[in-house]
Amino acid sequence: MSRFRLARWVVAVPMALLALATIYPLVFTANVASKTRREYILDRFSLADAVRVENLHTAWSSVGMGRYFVNSLIVVTFSVVLLLLIGSMAGFALSQLRFRGSSMIFLGCLAALFVPFQVIMVPLARTMADSGLIDTYPGLILAYVAQFLPFTVFLMTSYYRTIPPEIVDAARIDGNSVYGVYRRIMLPLGTPALLSVGILDALFCWNDVLISLLMMPSAENRTLMVGVTSLRGQYSDDIPTFASGVLIAAVPVLVVYLFLQRQIADGVAAGSTKG
Amino acid sequence: MATSAARRGERLAPYVLVAPAVLTIVVLRLWPLLLGVNFSFTGDGERDGTAVGVDNYLELFGDPLFQTALGNVVLLVLLLPVAVAIPGLIATFIYLRVPGHRLYRSVYFFPAVLSPVIVGAIFNLLLAFDGPVNAALSAVGIGRIDWLGDPDVAMFTVVGVHVWATFGMALVVFLAGFATLDGSLLDAARVDGASLPQAIWHVIVPSLIRTIQFVFVTTMVGMLTSMFGLLYVMTSGGPEGSTYLPEYYIWIQQGQMNRPALASAASTVLFLIMLVVGMLQISLLRRAGRED
Repeated sequence: MSRFRLARWVVAVPMALLALATIYPLVFTANVASKTRREYILDRFSLADAVRVENLHTAWSSVGMGRYFVNSLIVVTFSVVLLLLIGSMAGFALSQLRFRGSSMIFLGCLAALFVPFQVIMVPLARTMADSGLIDTYPGLILAYVAQFLPFTVFLMTSYYRTIPPEIVDAARIDGNSVYGVYRRIMLPLGTPALLSVGILDALFCWNDVLISLLMMPSAENRTLMVGVTSLRGQYSDDIPTFASGVLIAAVPVLVVYLFLQRQIADGVAAGSTKG
Repeated sequence: MATSAARRGERLAPYVLVAPAVLTIVVLRLWPLLLGVNFSFTGDGERDGTAVGVDNYLELFGDPLFQTALGNVVLLVLLLPVAVAIPGLIATFIYLRVPGHRLYRSVYFFPAVLSPVIVGAIFNLLLAFDGPVNAALSAVGIGRIDWLGDPDVAMFTVVGVHVWATFGMALVVFLAGFATLDGSLLDAARVDGASLPQAIWHVIVPSLIRTIQFVFVTTMVGMLTSMFGLLYVMTSGGPEGSTYLPEYYIWIQQGQMNRPALASAASTVLFLIMLVVGMLQISLLRRAGRED
């Protein structure tokens, strides 16, 4: 492709600038989190003269980000485990077992995929309130499972379709029940997909703000992202503490991304090519 | 007896396996859709539960805030080709191995995994009137811009930040599409003396038409349903209600104004918009794909 060589070098500069523009906002925030208020007002761009953890400490304890962090961790963990369990069971049945209504069920999942949360949130909030699930962990977990289950079932079904049916047949001849096949064969074989889908589900839940705002009205039950939104009003004149709160919310995602970006990107790509 | 019971258990097994998923999806995703549509024809407050016909819809379309929200949807549709072209072009350059291409994919994708709330908070900081971006602009002699306080500017600011935060997602999808592209077609175009824009238009676009179609639909869905976090943190719908979108309107009516039935009417309208936009785009792109 030598003819396009010139074009490649022409775009090299804007591509590099765009990469900078992609990273810089977070670097800026991390830098500000290390400054004193005075330092920030005097010069916003200069490097902080020392790494200061006081601001992080303030954000974690006095602002309450620590408590929100734990709330998020609990809710995300339970949601993802349930999503993967329910999603892989359904995915196995829909891809490898023959039964009446299976294609209808798969279509129903696809249809649910196209119903955004905003469209159902009013009646859902009412149902949740009527069953006493508003402002409880199980309520929020259930809302997340319902929200991301169609996606999870869809990707798990697509993945299990690539497993040859002979494997299931062989395991059945060896005397395994259907449940045995699921537990001993399908769960282990599904590991790559479970990992990829699980990370995406975890990101979706961790990053959500609308569902959490709706389901968890009281301050002590806030998830971390709702905690970030509450920073704005309280700490708008204390930018370093504000930046520290944002950083606390961003760092776990950054760490996950650094180690697992391949799985995240693969999950997104799988969602598109199988669609 | 034991074996027949076991056989029956086996026959029921598929249903047992799908039951939790089916129950959850039907009860908490599909049924609420019907409930919501039904609910939008009942009243709020004192008229709670009574049928009011299309009153909510009349009020909705008469509300200047909802009109702004619909106007902003039109704006999003107009900006959609740009939001799709940017990741498409970048994917093309990465495919053509721009210097540094290995690194770019992971760098560009990173903001896509950050919560809109975090992105919004960071840009609040950067784009404040007395913030660093304006400080930099006035240092180089360009005046300050009221990114989030000027009703004529704020919506473009929010959409710009949304595109910054999400183009990496579409980029990954495009790159997955490029992996299926037949490289010899591009080589042939090159031998025929095609320029890069010609090669993009005549080889890449027709070959990736399915991917482009998918990105169009997902980008539009993203713009209509995942900008809440940004709006909530960056503008709260303001200034002067200029950054309302249907999803934000629904939230305000449900969460702040205690008007769930009116919110349901707005939800139903949003759902119809998404149906129409999705079908329109698919049929347009199908036609475009067929002409080649």
